[in-house]
Amino acid sequence: MPVISPSAFAPPVSAVLREKVRRLERANSVRQVGKAAVPTGLPAIDALLPEGGLLTGALHEIEAGAAPSGRVAAHDGAALGFAAHLMGRFAAVAPGTLLWCRRPSGVFDAPPYAAALAAWFDPARLLVVTARRDEDVFWAMEEGLRCPGIAAVLGETRATDATAGRRLSLAAEKSGVPALLLRPQPAPPQSVCVTRWRIASAPSRSTPGLHDVGAPRWRLDLRRNRFGAPSIAETPSWLVEWNDETHCLAVVPETLHGSVGARFEESLFEERLVGPRLAS
Amino acid sequence: MRLADARALLPDLVTAPGEPQADQRLIEAIADWCDRYTPWVTIDPLGGALAEEGAEACSAGGFGGDAGLLLDVTGCAHLFGQNEAGERALLADLVGRLARHDFTCRAAMADTAGAAWALARYAERQADLFCPRHGQRDALASLPVEGLRLEAPILETFVKLGLRRIGDLYPLPRAPLARRFGDLPLTRLDQALGARNEVLEPRRTVPAFRTRLAFVEPIGRPEDIAAATSRLLAALCRQFEQAGVGARKLEIALYRVDGSVDRTAIGTSRPNRDNPKLMKLFEEKLGELDPGFGVELMILAAPEVEAWSGTQDALPEAGALALSLGSDGTIDLADRLALRLGAENVVRLLPRDSHLPERVQVTASVSSKPAADGAWRRLAGLKGARPTRLLQRPEPVEVTLFVPDDPPSVFHWRRHAHRIVRADGPERIADEWWRPRPDGSRPPANDVPPVRDYYRVEDDDGGRFWLFRDGPYKLAANGQPTARWFLHGFCA
Repeated sequence: MPVISPSAFAPPVSAVLREKVRRLERANSVRQVGKAAVPTGLPAIDALLPEGGLLTGALHEIEAGAAPSGRVAAHDGAALGFAAHLMGRFAAVAPGTLLWCRRPSGVFDAPPYAAALAAWFDPARLLVVTARRDEDVFWAMEEGLRCPGIAAVLGETRATDATAGRRLSLAAEKSGVPALLLRPQPAPPQSVCVTRWRIASAPSRSTPGLHDVGAPRWRLDLRRNRFGAPSIAETPSWLVEWNDETHCLAVVPETLHGSVGARFEESLFEERLVGPRLAS
Repeated sequence: MRLADARALLPDLVTAPGEPQADQRLIEAIADWCDRYTPWVTIDPLGGALAEEGAEACSAGGFGGDAGLLLDVTGCAHLFGQNEAGERALLADLVGRLARHDFTCRAAMADTAGAAWALARYAERQADLFCPRHGQRDALASLPVEGLRLEAPILETFVKLGLRRIGDLYPLPRAPLARRFGDLPLTRLDQALGARNEVLEPRRTVPAFRTRLAFVEPIGRPEDIAAATSRLLAALCRQFEQAGVGARKLEIALYRVDGSVDRTAIGTSRPNRDNPKLMKLFEEKLGELDPGFGVELMILAAPEVEAWSGTQDALPEAGALALSLGSDGTIDLADRLALRLGAENVVRLLPRDSHLPERVQVTASVSSKPAADGAWRRLAGLKGARPTRLLQRPEPVEVTLFVPDDPPSVFHWRRHAHRIVRADGPERIADEWWRPRPDGSRPPANDVPPVRDYYRVEDDDGGRFWLFRDGPYKLAANGQPTARWFLHGFCA
């Protein structure tokens, strides 16, 4: 009588071990942080993230990606918008000051513009720090992470410094304050961050028949998702739209592009965004 | 006398080129050093000797000669002994210490700066250098009139008239003297005798709050200096509490055994008298101080103080932000950041009600009052769509247009062509005529203010930009359009 080995039905050992390690890591991280995560406001994305959102007390990286045509993006306005959205989510759950550290990029310096950032959070809560060197940006971020009155810390830098990243990550874990790194260009990955996002601006949707600029759309790639749920895709990617009127971010359905189903889904999506106007 | 003549008289004369700047540095260093006796030190503008109720002349002996310092030691001499004994001891200490640094000096002490100045330069006997209280009239009587700090022409006339001693002026009627020579001789005489007040202007601001710590043995280890700083701070914080103030700026000075002084300062963004917090700020700076061969005296002073607001121990002011800034260490964080990065680099953003995009956002120091709740949102709601990044100065771009009044179809920026697919606009923003122009002039009443037409455009890659045309579309005489295009920001 042939003996069927139980291992024939069990998942491979490596997968079991990986799952075990993931659980250990996650438990450890959550215990250290002691705080829940903050949802990004996009249910489709939150489902993949640990604890259903961005962990506070962790380092998150946001980098500006290349344009759809593959060219180097002319600016990181989209990445800045997404970073501001995340800052706004963090600011909504924790009182206190938002620390924004940046290093001016020479002659063509374009600082963040508070009148636009007001869509995501109250700029009165901002403390803006300008440093001449990258080390000072990291130092200021670390000091901010240690301060109990800070709700979230954001650093704009081009530098990749593994040691600085690790220090930031440790400081964030200790205090439970979220840290964001915003890069104007894709950079070699850092191992310490919990999530890494790549944002590129995507063509917006004009009002039919007109050539006006629609609501900002971004291509969002989740390139690293530590402690998170595994995804089917290698790098989960979404097309999202920021609605300036309702102040919410939503995933644009793009499956079956151009088909009847897609058009139906898009109409549903539009109804959700600007329901009353379409209905009337 | 010329050098050649001097050489003829004395062949082995030692000569050296004059270095007025080095002399100036030296006298400033000595003046710094004199801070150990009093914070009120002045370099004698006449380059002579010096004076006042406590004052002394030190001639940088050898070359250079006439440099002098004036010290106001009112209320400082008691550190050296009671009454006159203390003043004598101070004078002896000063001369002795300068002599140990190989400076020849003559120092005199008198009730007035003028009397001390004259005594230091013209007193004949060593014992005369110390003028007892109210004794300047007798002490000066026998000195030459040169001791009155007068100009050479007046002095020459005095000598011609036989007025050689200061005492010769005492019995003269004042009115004819003033008519003959002007106010100056009488003013100087009154100042020297104490009948008229003379104000010395101190080199540094004289701090109202100051503590000093002298050491029996010079110290040099960083831990010792930190410990001494902490003791000085504790004493100063007690003074603050009694006076009801807090420090905005603190300065610590290290007096080294070689006579030089090293200083460093810290600033705080709101009045502070919290000893541990101030100590933490100092810890950043103490590393920069060089104790040299040893420190014999440390002085901690508060050049800037402000009335104590009490927000740190009492209930915070209204508004959640004041609470969040005051009570949770954010203000201390801002101080620490400002100490390393400069106060102008740690700022808060305030809204300003203006049409011009670049004027809407104002940076303000951390200690300023934050924007009211929702002020930003209200302001942003009034404006159209704004870029997330605004260029500090708009960059000129080259554009291609099909229709003059339309947004461009292509624009070139940093050698990249951006083909515009979508565009919003124009949003016309006119200059604010009620504001004076950058050069201070006001625009004439019938002047049309410059306008900008802003367009939000999207290129074929989905990049969104904020462009503007400088002024309405017009053709110049040569058929070229006059308006130029600029890139002003990047949208989300």
